[in-house]
Amino acid sequence: MKTAILIAVIVFADAAGDVLLTRGMKQIGEISTISPKVLLSIARKVLTNRNFLSGILFFAVTFFSFLTVLSWADLSFVFPATSLVYVVSTLGAKFMLRETVSFQRWAGIFLVCLGVALTSLP
Amino acid sequence: MKTYAILALAVLAQATGNVCLSRGMRELSSASSIFALFSQAVGSPAIWIGTALLLLFFFLFAAALSWADLSFVVPAISIEVVINVAFAQYFLKEPVSSVRWLGALLISIGVILVLRTGKQTGKSEIEGAKI
Repeated sequence: MKTAILIAVIVFADAAGDVLLTRGMKQIGEISTISPKVLLSIARKVLTNRNFLSGILFFAVTFFSFLTVLSWADLSFVFPATSLVYVVSTLGAKFMLRETVSFQRWAGIFLVCLGVALTSLP
Repeated sequence: MKTYAILALAVLAQATGNVCLSRGMRELSSASSIFALFSQAVGSPAIWIGTALLLLFFFLFAAALSWADLSFVVPAISIEVVINVAFAQYFLKEPVSSVRWLGALLISIGVILVLRTGKQTGKSEIEGAKI
């Protein structure tokens, strides 16, 4: 039960981090330069963007929940379970970021989940 | 093209970073406490390089999200699992079973499907001052 709750926390925090990070970066706008001067001013904008910073916070929650659950559960169980994040992130992209997710994209994501589950078998 | 280049670089940085971290952590003698382990880790070049590479991965990931769909970038970088499996076998000499390779094959097919959908399918609503 404890494990299931923490895995749910990992999956949802990771997906929330993805959605917030994307929202923040879309607000910053397309990065199309490698000039250090411009990148520095972008970095300043990024580090004051509320969406970006909340995204980082969620990634921190993901990371520490992951470490915690690994202190008693097997990685070979936890890792495939967290592959659900691909599905939840995509749902977030569809419903919160209004991205169009075609059938082919869903099919690809499904194969990825299945593949992650298989690579995690001993 | 830019998207593919950035994502390829991101995935390579991530996989190489993981190999460095794994090597670094194994070189540590088994420490008695988590604090002892941490202070040993701070002195290990492999762990520093690994951490720097993972930071580089995060910057490239965020940069790609500044123009590409999240539902494109996330499954696209899942190819990292395949590269991690390959690197684990090649550099760390970990045994990789045929079931794992089958999983890697499925991930690769999935990633190819996603890559073929194009990096941006719809304009997102969240541009400008809406949020």
